[in-house]
Amino acid sequence: MAKSGHPTAAPPRRVVLAAAAAGSVLLAGCKGLAALGPAPKTGADVATLTEAIAAEEMLIARYDAALAALSGQQRITRLLTPILAEHRAHLDRLRTRLIQPAAAPASPSPSATPTPAPPPGGRRQILADLVAAERAAAGRLTGQLVAMPPATAQLMASISASEAAHVVVLSQAGRP
Amino acid sequence: MSRAGREQPARGRLGALQAALGAEEATIYGYGVAGAHLTGAGYSLAYADSVLHERARDVLIGLIEALGAQPQASAVAYRLPVAVNSAASARVLAARLELDLAAAYLGLAGVDDPALRKLAAVRMQGAAVRAARWDGGTEAFPGIQPPG
Repeated sequence: MAKSGHPTAAPPRRVVLAAAAAGSVLLAGCKGLAALGPAPKTGADVATLTEAIAAEEMLIARYDAALAALSGQQRITRLLTPILAEHRAHLDRLRTRLIQPAAAPASPSPSATPTPAPPPGGRRQILADLVAAERAAAGRLTGQLVAMPPATAQLMASISASEAAHVVVLSQAGRP
Repeated sequence: MSRAGREQPARGRLGALQAALGAEEATIYGYGVAGAHLTGAGYSLAYADSVLHERARDVLIGLIEALGAQPQASAVAYRLPVAVNSAASARVLAARLELDLAAAYLGLAGVDDPALRKLAAVRMQGAAVRAARWDGGTEAFPGIQPPG
């Protein structure tokens, strides 16, 4: 797939379209909205949420790739499968926080998510890479949640806690 | 999306800090009970975690006092969420205490102070990490009630 080189570089197309649609609504209804006071600063929230969603998509793609690479190892499959399910739950919940305009074109299917290259190395290297990715994701969320609406900040804090806990079970499994 | 809690931000912060403080006290109490049923490495871990929670509690007390408020007094005893009569049930209790603690920090993760939000997130991460060490499990949304 052409997009696989820089999977996190661009926001998903539908979000850009959503932002454009929201902008035209604001222009069209300018006078009416002005009566409600200053418009809420949703731009930064949307951008941050979009980043968090992209990060979850990347993590899911990493787990998919790891499971494919280690498909013969039942113990690893049993370890990684529930973690992957938790990341899918994270992604679903984060997506509910992103308001989609009614006129948005059909969303790209989840299978259009960019996939990282197959993980190099053996089991231990793959687990170490997943540990690093989980750690980075938890840290990123901790920085992002400070500027989000309260409920989204709480969700991000919880997701970051889930990811921090993944580090524990992955690290235990990665020990010789 | 409305920003709930915009009114009376200081009260929101104080309430969230007091809730976290109460949960830290309950956790410290619970670790005392769990530790009594553990030996060796399990006991050492319970002791270390308990000390960690005492430090966390002291930080919360300092933050509450800095807001000019009186820290909520701890109870003499707490109802434990798990009946403990063995090392195995002690580990179950410890994990449960940590996840309950994560829930108690959730309010603080939504207050209007970035530093307090960050503190709450770090504490929730610590709680989920310790819970995983105690019972080997993880969950998608530590501290958040499952829907339905």
